[in-house]
Amino acid sequence: MSALPPRLAGAFLSAASELGMASAARLFAREVARAGGRELVAAARDTFGRDFPVFHVVASRWLAGELDAAPSPAPVLPLAGALARLLVVGLEANWLDALLPRLAGVEVGLLRDEAAVAADFRRVLANYEGLAVGVELAELHRWSGRRSGLLTFVYGSDGHVAHVPTTWLRVSGPDVRTQFAALIGWNILGGPMDVYPRWLAETGVADFSRLVGP
Amino acid sequence: MSHRLLAPSSLSRDLLRREDIEALLEPWLPDATDRGYVARCIVEEGPIHHRGANYALLRLLGLALAAVGGAGPQRGEAAPVALRLPPHLRRGVDDENFPLGVPLSALERLAPRGSPTFDALLDCLRDGPPHHALANAAMVCLLGALIDRLAPETAP
Repeated sequence: MSALPPRLAGAFLSAASELGMASAARLFAREVARAGGRELVAAARDTFGRDFPVFHVVASRWLAGELDAAPSPAPVLPLAGALARLLVVGLEANWLDALLPRLAGVEVGLLRDEAAVAADFRRVLANYEGLAVGVELAELHRWSGRRSGLLTFVYGSDGHVAHVPTTWLRVSGPDVRTQFAALIGWNILGGPMDVYPRWLAETGVADFSRLVGP
Repeated sequence: MSHRLLAPSSLSRDLLRREDIEALLEPWLPDATDRGYVARCIVEEGPIHHRGANYALLRLLGLALAAVGGAGPQRGEAAPVALRLPPHLRRGVDDENFPLGVPLSALERLAPRGSPTFDALLDCLRDGPPHHALANAAMVCLLGALIDRLAPETAP
């Protein structure tokens, strides 16, 4: 294959709705590379990167030879493992696949992200049978407690500003953040993005009791 | 005026060091997760002037306590400080209380336990947003330990 598939953007959006932007981007970078090598990955990044900035970052990393193997849960494990309950805000399948099997004894909830790309949440949850349950925003407080934590994915930070799933802005409001013992930001991309971070919300790193990773 | 300091966040955290407050609370909160949680609520939540005032007062109390030998053995019960949950979402379990409570023995220096004065003072100390109530609880911990050192013979 020497040209980009005409419906690649739509396919990426579908995948991102059930896997998360970064996880879908890793998948697409690999598959595009398999179909057309470096040239096609670069073309995909330049064509769709502004619309999907997380894909832009991931494709750039792939082109630089920096796209590593499966994400490591090591930065989060000492924090999450000390909790009884962990409520995850946002969805990133590659990172959850690495983390959740290591959290025996920790009750895990996945908050349904109403502000994210529409997904069939039942299909998402089916991937985590026995490892996590779905949580609606209205029942957020039921997950609070002195041994409870919130975790969200951070899509890059310059040390002051962090980009997060939009729902995090509601969840980390002043009325909620003191109800959880830990507010964990898991930076899965590293530094700030090169292109405008559409799809994401901006917040300050002071939102988190701990910001870890990548 | 914003009650959340989004930027420059590093400035606030550099000045109001959470770890300083965590160190002060260690006699009452041996668990690191508990200490981190309470210290964050005291110096990283709420309006910046409350964070700074909490930090200054607790550090000064800590200096005073250190000058007389530090906190002695903890004694007696502590009244829990509840998480500020919507009533219909409370589960009625201890996990819904903050890890730090108000030591009752310190308050008993002011009024007999169960008296209207005692109950009213305890209610006032535990009321308000978490940064108020937990700073109050921490100050009562330090003050109680300080008075225990200074006037042990008057302990209730």
